[in-house]
Amino acid sequence: MGALAHYLESKGIPTTQISLIREHTEFIRPPRALWVPFELGRPLGVPENPAFQRRVLLKALELLEAPEGPLLVDFPEEAPENAVGSDKPMESWSCPVSFASESRQETDLEKLRSAFDREVAELLPWYDLSMEKHGRTAVVEFEPRSSSELLGAFGTDGQPVTPKADISLATALRLAAQDLKAFYFEAVSARPGSAPPSSGEFDEWFWQETAAARILKAVQERCLKSGDKSLKMTGAMFLIPMDQR
Amino acid sequence: MARLNQMPEPMRSHLAELPCPSFTDQPWVPGTPLLKRRISLISTAGLQRRGDRPFEGMTGDYRVIPGDIQAKDLVMTHISTNFDRTGFQQDWNLVFPLDRLHELASEGIIGSVASYHYSFMGATDPAEMESAARNLAGLLKGDRVDAALLVPV
Repeated sequence: MGALAHYLESKGIPTTQISLIREHTEFIRPPRALWVPFELGRPLGVPENPAFQRRVLLKALELLEAPEGPLLVDFPEEAPENAVGSDKPMESWSCPVSFASESRQETDLEKLRSAFDREVAELLPWYDLSMEKHGRTAVVEFEPRSSSELLGAFGTDGQPVTPKADISLATALRLAAQDLKAFYFEAVSARPGSAPPSSGEFDEWFWQETAAARILKAVQERCLKSGDKSLKMTGAMFLIPMDQR
Repeated sequence: MARLNQMPEPMRSHLAELPCPSFTDQPWVPGTPLLKRRISLISTAGLQRRGDRPFEGMTGDYRVIPGDIQAKDLVMTHISTNFDRTGFQQDWNLVFPLDRLHELASEGIIGSVASYHYSFMGATDPAEMESAARNLAGLLKGDRVDAALLVPV
């Protein structure tokens, strides 16, 4: 991020930026930067809080009026809620859909696949409700039925059919994995009377409780065993977060 | 919490050891007061218009985001799994504060909002982005932009 600012400024465009990793910005020394103490993925601090976002934005923009630099200024506020590491108790959210407990004991791939398919089927109506309510989804390339079909087949040693002719299997698996997680988040956030889980709550539930996570780990294993370089790299880096491997 | 010293391993070491470029010069372009600035958003969140090409690798390419884009048409295809996406799912302004910029423009706090915004995919080696970024400066000038707000993810 800081390097981009440097390149643009050196071509005559004044820049200001938000910084998430202060150490990187200290090293690169871009012209103007506002460091924020927020979780990665949340540069403006907190969703659905326009007043807070506005304060962050204004602090970053005001740096454009400073007479000289480089400037690295710290934003004085923490994100107000739902931040990882906050005092909010993790048990305050629970998944609206409870999956049959025996499904967690699946050992062979066929049983895992059927548990995954049941889970997807149970979540689909909630996803549809979310779409009706918000008119927006973060699902990009693979609607829930196709992401679950692709990942389910690949993860259980079936023959996956890549639904898009113009993207490689490795890219398709990566995009499908993100789309599957997006679908799960939107589905579990849609229950009436239930606030969306925080990022930490969602990760805890998704990676510890769902058949989807076990399918993704099976997909990862198959990628790692593959002779295909891009599948290997996808398995090593782009399916499972570092803290869940 | 993006405080490096509070991050769990192996993420902390991964980020701490990421190579960062160092520059010998320090460019600084002065400008007019904020209320006269025309501002473009430049994100490294791997954002794209729905239907545009997904980001596939760390090649330094970027996607163009028209200023009249709606939230439902802006999606994220960043390749990293190591940051939160659920916030963006709830509110695009958390990552791409276009509504907030329009509010500031309508209140006269900034001059105007650019006609085009841009997104790279972060985690790319900055050297790979250099050529595209320098070309981007020309596009921004063509849009009469005189301030770029860079937003990481």
